Amino acid sequence: MWRIGFVCLVATIFVTDPALAQAGRISGTVTSTDGARPIAGAQVRVVGTRFGALTRDDGRYTITVQPGTYTLRVTRIGFTPDSMTGVVVTVDAPATADFRLQPAAVRLAGVVSIGYGTQEVRDKTGAVDVVSSDEFNTGRVVSPEQLIQSKVAGVQVVDNNEPGGGMSVRIRGASSINASSEPLYVVDGVPLQVGGGISDGDLARPGRNPLNFLNPSDIESISVLKDASAAAIYGSRGTNGVIIIKTKRGNAGSKQVTFGSTVSQSVVTGGPDLLNASQFRAAVQQFAPTNVTKLGTANTNWRDAVQHNAIGKEQQLAVSGGRDDMNYRLALGYLDQSGVLLSTGLRRLSTSFNYADKLFDKIDLTANLKGSRTDDHFTPGAVLGNATAFDPTQPIRTSTGSYFEWADNLAPGNPLAELALISDRGTTYRSVGNLESKYHLPFIEGLSTTLNLGYDLASAKRTTFTPSVERSQIVSGNGGNFYRTTPSQVNTVLDLYGNYVRKFDEYRSDVDLTAGYSYERSRGDYPAITVNGLTSDLLGPNGIPASTKAPLPTLFVDESRLASFFGRVNYTLADKYLTTLSVRRDGSSKFGPSNQWGVFPAAAFAWRLSEEPFMKRFSQVSDLKLRLSWGVNGNQSFSNYLYTSSYTLGNGLAQAQFGDQWVTTIRPSAVDPNIKWEQTTSTNVGLDYGIVKNRVTGTVDYYAKKTKDLIFTVPVAGGTNLSDFVTTNIGSLQNHGLELGLNAQVLQGGFHGLTWNASFNASTNSNKMLRINAGGSGTEQILVGGIAGGVGNTIEVLQPGYAINTFLVYKHKMLDGKPVYSDVNGDGTINEADLYEDINGDGIVNFSDRRPYKNPAPKWILAHTSQLGYRDFDASFTMRAYLGNYIYNNVASNLGNYSRIQGSGTPVNLDASVLKYGFVNPQYFSDVYIEKASFLRMDNVTLGYTFRHLGTLNALRLFGTIQNAFTITGYSGVDPTAGIDGIDNNIYPRSRTYLTGANVQF
Amino acid sequence: MSLRASRKLLVSAVLLLAAAGCTDLTVAPESTVTTANIFKDPNSYKEYLAKLYAGLQATGSVGPYGNRDIQSITDEGFSGYLRLYWQMEELPTEEAIIGWGDAALQELNTQVWGSSNQFLGGMYARVFFQVSLANEFLRQTTDAQLASRGVSGQLAADIKQYRAEARFLRALAYWNGIDLFGDIPLVKEDLVPGSPPPKQASRAEIFQFIESELNEIKPDLPAPGAATYGRASSVAADMLLAELYLNAKVYTGTDRSADARLAAERVIASGAYSLDPTYQNMFLADNNKSPEIIFAIPSDGLHQQSYGGMTTIVHASVGGNMNPSAYGLNGGWWGLRTRPEFVALFAGTGSADARSAPLFTDGQNLDVASIGNFNDGYALPKYRNVTSTGQAGSSKEFVDVDFPMFRLADAYLIYAEAVLRGGGGDMATAVQYVNLLRQRAYGNTSGNITAADLTLDFILAERGRELYWEAHRRTDLIRFDKFTTNGVWQWKGNVHDGRTTDAKFNLYPLPAAELLANPNLHQNAGY
Repeated sequence: MWRIGFVCLVATIFVTDPALAQAGRISGTVTSTDGARPIAGAQVRVVGTRFGALTRDDGRYTITVQPGTYTLRVTRIGFTPDSMTGVVVTVDAPATADFRLQPAAVRLAGVVSIGYGTQEVRDKTGAVDVVSSDEFNTGRVVSPEQLIQSKVAGVQVVDNNEPGGGMSVRIRGASSINASSEPLYVVDGVPLQVGGGISDGDLARPGRNPLNFLNPSDIESISVLKDASAAAIYGSRGTNGVIIIKTKRGNAGSKQVTFGSTVSQSVVTGGPDLLNASQFRAAVQQFAPTNVTKLGTANTNWRDAVQHNAIGKEQQLAVSGGRDDMNYRLALGYLDQSGVLLSTGLRRLSTSFNYADKLFDKIDLTANLKGSRTDDHFTPGAVLGNATAFDPTQPIRTSTGSYFEWADNLAPGNPLAELALISDRGTTYRSVGNLESKYHLPFIEGLSTTLNLGYDLASAKRTTFTPSVERSQIVSGNGGNFYRTTPSQVNTVLDLYGNYVRKFDEYRSDVDLTAGYSYERSRGDYPAITVNGLTSDLLGPNGIPASTKAPLPTLFVDESRLASFFGRVNYTLADKYLTTLSVRRDGSSKFGPSNQWGVFPAAAFAWRLSEEPFMKRFSQVSDLKLRLSWGVNGNQSFSNYLYTSSYTLGNGLAQAQFGDQWVTTIRPSAVDPNIKWEQTTSTNVGLDYGIVKNRVTGTVDYYAKKTKDLIFTVPVAGGTNLSDFVTTNIGSLQNHGLELGLNAQVLQGGFHGLTWNASFNASTNSNKMLRINAGGSGTEQILVGGIAGGVGNTIEVLQPGYAINTFLVYKHKMLDGKPVYSDVNGDGTINEADLYEDINGDGIVNFSDRRPYKNPAPKWILAHTSQLGYRDFDASFTMRAYLGNYIYNNVASNLGNYSRIQGSGTPVNLDASVLKYGFVNPQYFSDVYIEKASFLRMDNVTLGYTFRHLGTLNALRLFGTIQNAFTITGYSGVDPTAGIDGIDNNIYPRSRTYLTGANVQF
Repeated sequence: MSLRASRKLLVSAVLLLAAAGCTDLTVAPESTVTTANIFKDPNSYKEYLAKLYAGLQATGSVGPYGNRDIQSITDEGFSGYLRLYWQMEELPTEEAIIGWGDAALQELNTQVWGSSNQFLGGMYARVFFQVSLANEFLRQTTDAQLASRGVSGQLAADIKQYRAEARFLRALAYWNGIDLFGDIPLVKEDLVPGSPPPKQASRAEIFQFIESELNEIKPDLPAPGAATYGRASSVAADMLLAELYLNAKVYTGTDRSADARLAAERVIASGAYSLDPTYQNMFLADNNKSPEIIFAIPSDGLHQQSYGGMTTIVHASVGGNMNPSAYGLNGGWWGLRTRPEFVALFAGTGSADARSAPLFTDGQNLDVASIGNFNDGYALPKYRNVTSTGQAGSSKEFVDVDFPMFRLADAYLIYAEAVLRGGGGDMATAVQYVNLLRQRAYGNTSGNITAADLTLDFILAERGRELYWEAHRRTDLIRFDKFTTNGVWQWKGNVHDGRTTDAKFNLYPLPAAELLANPNLHQNAGY
């Protein structure tokens, strides 16, 4: 495949004409209507050709074209686009075209990536959104997803508080009940393998977040394809939406050097509400008098003991520049961010190189290379859980100076001892790059072919070392543990497509045709080794000493391929009627031969009402466009080989005894050979509007999505397969919702030079399971959402008629506003019959009386961003609110009962809810733990001041940011955003970050 | 269009087509073997059979956990066949009680379980995991399949025996299945994976199936000997028949005591096993050397690490004032004890009966005032991870103690009970067999009984004394009708003093998840 691509590349270069023999020139300046400021970075395009340029810092541009008469179009985010017709270029006389752009709210300008091409935002037919670097969230941003949090209606970004930690992004709700409802990420034309790839936090995967390789400050824009018609060009991977990331390019013009540096400090602001030492003493004395002897005399706040104020440092250096036909950008970044939990943190060194050139005036050559090294320091052992559960009356260290530990094996270990002894670190090297050559065929105007070769390489290692003297090793008799995993992954992609863009003035038509082929291959290699029974602790994580037990090496390799044919037609009539038709045919190796191929069609239509004569009398309406779209997408982000019956080879620790021999085992796996794609069909109705010369712009979208053939691992009838569960297509679900976006230029400098841009967005989504038909039977409930407390207990359910992950709980009887906890029926015990309603009325209170109740997804997500400017001051803030989301407070349900301190075991600390409810035995399934978690959060407040023209400095901006400034919520647990699944159990502590920094431009 | 232009077009078209040719999407797994090639390795037959045996205790293909076999129970350690079976046979009886807070365990302790109890779901899944794997093995080793792979000679002879062993293990799973759950589907090798849910079969139909299978495979099973330790011999098949017949009235309504006696006689007459001179040695780390054990589920600290069986049972029985290292362990798990009604089986005999020696009373209360408190109820560390010579097992975490599923003493007691139940045979022999056990227990004849003493009530008590914690008790109590509507022990019915319970608890309910997955099933009465 690579070879073919290379041949093609060479061939394309070879058949090219030399440079334009006779060239003319267009030049000019682009300035702003308010104060005639020069506008840098505006895109000037020669309509109907491939020529164009970006303006330099002084607003000037130059374009080389063949002589002729042209129309120029200028676009710049933040300004209303402008165009100029009848620009005449001759060889002798360069044309001059100056533009004065009207500032506008940002949304209608600019260009959005739509996959294998771009489109002007004003011409979009589907629900797509673009967020450019001016609008990104600022401050301490470790992972790219954070840049667009609260910026796009219908996009939910859930982070886990850990610096660089795994994130979940949901575009218009979850369309899958399996592992991945995450969108597809495409970085500079290379689709990333996320999820199926190298990092999502579990021990076998050495990095935290697969996008961490990308330095957020290298990103120019992030486009979000939300509806099926937009995402259909990515076919089998478009179900969850597509996020297209473009990195920054150099600008034609003078060389520019920028340097930025920030320092931040994060302070813990949230944690579970636990008993303090004196409350704990009182509880033991009252409820577990036999355990009073186990109490200590110290007053230890174990959570505080494992937390600290975390320092972060970041530096960025970028050099960019270019000429008319060439530009480049080279950037270096360094980030050192520690976590508020001791010994956790992340360090990243990143580089990015972009280069674009025109070869022989026929080939646009673009190369993007990114590389990074990320060092992750993970939370070792069970520090968080142990710090939560440890008896607060015990000291951290005993009088002899050694760490206090319980003799009881089942007691929690001292978290500070774990921090001191266990190390858990990973390093990820990743590089993503592509080389794109776009050849403008000389014989048909507007026709080009593009060859894009991309790669995504990742190589990582993660080592966990637990010395033999560590408590868990002594308790288990394991004798020390060394674990190292060194996965690597190579993805390659080849895209070959043709593009035909032509304006037919005589028919008032614009045509943009794209058709092509794409082939991707992904190979992974996952070796790991576990060594137990270390004879020495001295080598630490850096070597393997002789061991008393046989080392356990493992190796797994896998491969997947995806071959696709795609096509798209964009047709615009009279700038009023816009149509997009697209189709993609995908073949995936993840499914069996009979189900490999799928076809994913889409269609969209838009009508620019504001161009109609009957709208002319509404002079305040500067833009009004109605959009309709329909499309089918697939989802194939599942493990490989689901359809093949394979055998699992056992290891040396799970053998069977045959006489005096021990025989290794083999086991056939349960499969559904007919497993097939999940498919989502969706429709979208949208309205784009702009009023008062686009000073106020916005969108309204309504969508409905239905996903069928959901893939899930479900129980099968005993005896009908080779295990009790099989992964198969089981049912369907739907999402529908409304999204509102509004951007307003409230002040444009008229009021003492004050400018104020305000944007709002709001979205609501309603999700519902429609049907489950596991194994052809009528399974009505699938239990999901494992919790801490009891073995295998789950708190959520998939059930037709309810949102996915709806909580399944008892209705707790209430008395005087408090949950009942007494022997109501007088049978001598306090049990379900006393506490919970008999929902099904059968006279028995048991599991069948748990009913679906609330769910973790917010009903409404609201967000607001304001950007203010006054002379050289700038300020901005972003706030966000969730309404109607619910969380299961698992810390409270697990630790909020006196049985935790009773009995012969070691008492553990209690959640303070026990003081309120008085539960003696755990009530895991009570609805009192389902808490409303609506909140309002000030995510970001930034204030900056820019010094201009200081000697050689072009500009120096100093700024300060407070992130997570405050949260207003009624939720009693750690964080109302607690994870995408709504179960709050030992999540990473919430913190507030104070950051200061400087950006310098030479 | 110029010639040059058309040449370029041609080049482009060719390249496009060449690229488009790459649509081969066949990717075979590389790091796992598939059905297509697994049996190219002749060792695979033996390794497959090894999985069937390992399935009685290991929780997955990777020890001590990892790559689990079943998913009905999310915590893999809880999902072992032996652990689940042992809990269901012992926890609802007077022999055992466990203090851990898991709701599903407490339901077993107190006989208040419902169909959502995950351990029942896990056990049901385990039964059919064994059945399905055995079926697949039988499908893969038909004469036609073997001929197509060119299997002959010694390997073919070995496979014939493996097939008999697979059928034994399937029969064993079915016996446990009907004993615990009553009517369940009868799935044989003719039901291929992916078939629609099977119909429910009656206990009697499956009883018949087990009986005919065992009789049919006996000639192909190996004779007992050192080489077959851990595997099924023809004597093990007779032992399983004896158990089946002994409970025939419960399973089918028809008494088969005579057949039970005959089967027990065949076991005894085989001469392959003898009573272990020391009762305790059958429950230690080197009990694989015991001459008495007919069929064991082997456990080993080096080769068979899992939390699915003996490791958990041994650890859970240690706590309180016990010194874990005296039990060959790195620590106790403070869970299992016994109830006063079991202790009462030894009333009046004091320490004369060596079988009561494991009762541990130091710091323990006889009364189980609180189920959660390890100190309430005498501890009963019958199994210890030390050898008969006092050496610790090979690992302090994963025990070497094998589970004695069938042993000769049980055959003696079955013989005696069958005689009492009118199954023919000889009363004097029955008394003699019981006295052999009592002489071993007392070290002399002081505990001997006479024919007048040998009543059914005595048998039930004696089975408790001899076979406690060997996963027989629930089945025994049901056969004697003392499990639910009769018989009271502490916490039965979820009250401290105990009370009788509904007769429906003589069967476990079919798991709720299974009823949803298989709409052909009818729930057991009362659930």
